[in-house]
Amino acid sequence: MSGCPGSRTIDFSEKTDQEGSETGKRPSQLRQWPIQMHLVSPQAPYFQGKDILLAADCTAFSLGDFHKDYLKGKSIAIACPKLDSDQEVYTEKIKALIDDAKINTLTVMIMQVPCCFGLAQIAKEGAEKASRKIPVKQVVVGLEGNILSEEWI
Amino acid sequence: MENVLNKEIKKIIDDCPEVGRILDEYGIGCVPCSVGTCLLKDVVGIHNLDPEREATLMYRIEKAIYPDRQVAKPVIDTTKKSAPKKITYSPPVKKLVDEHVLIKRLLALVPTIVDYIESSMKVDKDLVLRCVDFIRTYADKYHHMKEEDILFKYVDEKAEIIQVMYKDHDTGRGYIREVVEGAEKGNKAQIKQNMLAYQELLTQHIKKEDEILYPWIDRQLSTTQVGEMFRRCNEADASVGEELPKKYEKLITDLEEKFLQEVVK
Ligand SMILES: [Fe+2]
Ligand SMILES: [Fe+2]
Repeated sequence: MSGCPGSRTIDFSEKTDQEGSETGKRPSQLRQWPIQMHLVSPQAPYFQGKDILLAADCTAFSLGDFHKDYLKGKSIAIACPKLDSDQEVYTEKIKALIDDAKINTLTVMIMQVPCCFGLAQIAKEGAEKASRKIPVKQVVVGLEGNILSEEWI
Repeated sequence: MENVLNKEIKKIIDDCPEVGRILDEYGIGCVPCSVGTCLLKDVVGIHNLDPEREATLMYRIEKAIYPDRQVAKPVIDTTKKSAPKKITYSPPVKKLVDEHVLIKRLLALVPTIVDYIESSMKVDKDLVLRCVDFIRTYADKYHHMKEEDILFKYVDEKAEIIQVMYKDHDTGRGYIREVVEGAEKGNKAQIKQNMLAYQELLTQHIKKEDEILYPWIDRQLSTTQVGEMFRRCNEADASVGEELPKKYEKLITDLEEKFLQEVVK
């Protein structure tokens, strides 16, 4: 095993323990546009006073119930702490979301790979810079779409 | 088993005291409870045991009540040692847990203070009233009011555990009234008896909140509610000013300096 665990090739196509139901339609819980962190504005009406989900790009593809269990009822911003440029802007936007948009809570959802913790770090820095204080939660998603941990930080 | 689950715990224990002893082994102290109308299923649910422990507990209770009944013994994987559960609190609840720390520092001083009062010629009224001021302002007005006005409103206030908490707060206020009366009259015995009763009551009360009540409430809160409660608690704190907690922290530090040194001497 060598190289970056964030880009190591793993194949779990043989996975068989598939509980859950394929019947019924699941509606999207997205209530806004845009969603990418560089494109969103903290002034957008859909952020004001809301619970915000700051999700690493890969999480929504990994987690089967992303919409139902995590996006529902929240506004969202997405980012990749490994590949995105100008991430200082992200820290400032989080500060503005807390101080100006007066968001209620911030949930940072990241993948278990080490580089993804950079996003939690950005969230923490933004929250520390802000003069208002709000609860910040960290959710870590395993590579196979399982929730590894969910805690207030 | 179904109908036993829906029975009041006090009645179950009255009929079969062994159940009280079993619950006690699992850290569920229903026997000394002052109310006792919780249903067995709620008692077990509130303690959030891991599934294997809960299954064993229910098996033992059923066996105790119906010794002749054929009950399937749960299969426990003993190779898999469950890690002791670490309690994590949401930020607003964590703040309340942190406030308990200062209250517990006063409670720890109570026996020494009581001894000091008993052995001095004249009752140090000023000392007693400083303790009372801490209890009434910090523990009661600042801390208990956030519990009563904010935290408890997020769950069913009729739940017995909440009723017990209200009752404890009230009983505590009664003890403190007695302490003040004792100080006015210079009645050492009255001060001692009620200070010690308060210490015992609040020690148990805080333990129940930290270990059982707060985690139970936290498990029921949505993310939105956590954010809202955090804001409301901050507003309540802001309304009394940030000097208040600092003032009472200093009061405790001063008392510790005086009385912990007494112990060392
Ligand atoms: Fe309390
Ligand atoms: Fe308390």
